[in-house]
Amino acid sequence: MIDTGKVFELSAIRRTYQVGGELVRALDGVDLTIRDREFIAVIGTSGSGKSTLMHTLGFMDSPSSGRMSFEGRDVSAIGRGERARLRAARIGFVFQAFNLLSKLTVLDNVVLPLIYSRKRVKDKRGLGMRALERVGMEHRAGHTPGQLSGGERQRVAIARSLINEPRLILADEPTGNLDSKNRGRIMELFASLMDEGITLALVTHDDEVAAYAKRRIRMQDGRIVEDSLS
Amino acid sequence: MNPVGDIYTGASNGLREVWSNKVRSLLSMSGIILGVAALVAMVGIVQGMLGNMRASFERSGGVLKLEVHPREAPEEQQHIAGISPGMTWRDIGAIEKAIPLAAFVTPVVDMNWERFVAKGRRAGAILHGVTPDLMGIKNYRLKHGRFISDFDIEAKSPVIVVGGHIVRELFRGQAKVIGEQLRVRGQIYTIVGQMEEVEAGGIGGGGRRFNWESRLNYIPATTAMARYKGDDEVNRIEILAASVETMPDLMEQIENTLTQTHRGIFDFEIRTQEEQMAELKKLENSFTYSLGGIAGISLLVGGIGIMNVMLASVSERIREIGVRKAIGARSHDIFIQFLAEAVVISVLGGLFGLVASVGLLSLARDLIPEGQNINLIPVTAMFYGFLFSSLVGLASGIYPALRASRLDPIDALRYE
Repeated sequence: MIDTGKVFELSAIRRTYQVGGELVRALDGVDLTIRDREFIAVIGTSGSGKSTLMHTLGFMDSPSSGRMSFEGRDVSAIGRGERARLRAARIGFVFQAFNLLSKLTVLDNVVLPLIYSRKRVKDKRGLGMRALERVGMEHRAGHTPGQLSGGERQRVAIARSLINEPRLILADEPTGNLDSKNRGRIMELFASLMDEGITLALVTHDDEVAAYAKRRIRMQDGRIVEDSLS
Repeated sequence: MNPVGDIYTGASNGLREVWSNKVRSLLSMSGIILGVAALVAMVGIVQGMLGNMRASFERSGGVLKLEVHPREAPEEQQHIAGISPGMTWRDIGAIEKAIPLAAFVTPVVDMNWERFVAKGRRAGAILHGVTPDLMGIKNYRLKHGRFISDFDIEAKSPVIVVGGHIVRELFRGQAKVIGEQLRVRGQIYTIVGQMEEVEAGGIGGGGRRFNWESRLNYIPATTAMARYKGDDEVNRIEILAASVETMPDLMEQIENTLTQTHRGIFDFEIRTQEEQMAELKKLENSFTYSLGGIAGISLLVGGIGIMNVMLASVSERIREIGVRKAIGARSHDIFIQFLAEAVVISVLGGLFGLVASVGLLSLARDLIPEGQNINLIPVTAMFYGFLFSSLVGLASGIYPALRASRLDPIDALRYE
């Protein structure tokens, strides 16, 4: 029977690269289950494999071996097109460097995933405005990212990640480029989104940020060495 | 999959990119603009020239017209060539008498370029000595007065029929100049007729300016021979056949008659307009191929320019490509996006090129000093120029678009 509460189930996932003549084990037998409404912080030193884990969960990378299921479906060996479709429709991304497109307006940035997900949405801009309202940025819809502060840009990026009502939001060091005031605001925003039923996994170096999460996963040498609830 | 939506999204993204990089886009499309403008303008100029040559050919008698020109006697007759009197006034009488298939016959005593003087003004124009039959051969009309008459030929009258150019230059402001006098090489003539202006159509309608036919002026052939040549030699004979079917017979009869009057010496040749038409066609083809080649090369260079700019654009936007892929863009979406940009650049370049070509054609009409009128906007060349420029854009966009679409999202996002 499929457990509908499970978003991801990873079993003995390995991801290896050949760099020069050397085999690098970025993920070395990861077992992990992510359930709905979880707020997970993935922590670890540089090179511990946390980014590779995020890329794998975000369908940007495929495991070299192991079994991975998403929403009860085996996705261990799906092709690039299907991975792109899942990224567009089911996963939301938030990056450290915000990664908004500078030539588009705030609203156009937010609705961009709708175009790629090919969902038949009648009022894309209305949906975009509602996503901006959720992060308190509706008044800047017509501005370009260059006209916003770092904290505002990250809120817009979060609105973009919300637009497709994803099953999981992946945030890679989302507060890494922010000052402490803005860092607090962004984490408060994530916490409030959690109350709305979002599932969130974020990568961070920052223990203060990790403290917001209910579950902490520590990685080392491509393995999960700690998985604890707070 | 929604191809229409893909193209729409691609084109609007492309337009946005072109607009946000105006100078770079304009520079990259300059090759296409110049290529299309050069192609269309050159074809327009050539077609205009050839079109007017054809129209002028029709007016001067069309396919029914034959011309007899003097030429050197053949090698084997060289030693006795002197016994031929050459092409003379007697030939006209002989043809008129012996050949009923010739509907009209006129000699042309060609004075070529002469200086015409009247009312203290001077103007250069062409003077031909002819007979009344000229009006039967040419498709010209009189505006005022009369043409040269049989009496003028008989009496060697000092009369002249003038074209529009002389009226404009020597008798400014006068619509009718019948009865006025003018001088050519010291000889005085009374104007008895004014030719109807030959209008060659034009972009702006003003086709008179470069029309050499308006510079033609006629005096009686006998007057021309007496006043300027001092003998009865003529420069050529123009004949209009009664019908196309009888042309071969007519040519044979002319040859027989002239062989007699020239005492068996073949120091003349009969030219048909058909040969001239074939020459014109050859000229047109050689122009078309050489211009097409030049334009093709310049469009190719334009395409390479677009490819260069698109490759630079891909390198500059690697991170953007990574972001787009991360939020769900497929390789296909990125491919379409960059291809659409290249096509937008080339299509805009093609459109600007068409606009520039119309400007160039207008300029050419005003600048070319003498010769035929430039009067055509070549719609076919415009269509092909635009189509080819779009195809060049499409072809030059494929490689950069492929490079962009193949980028790995993780590598692209890491790119600094």
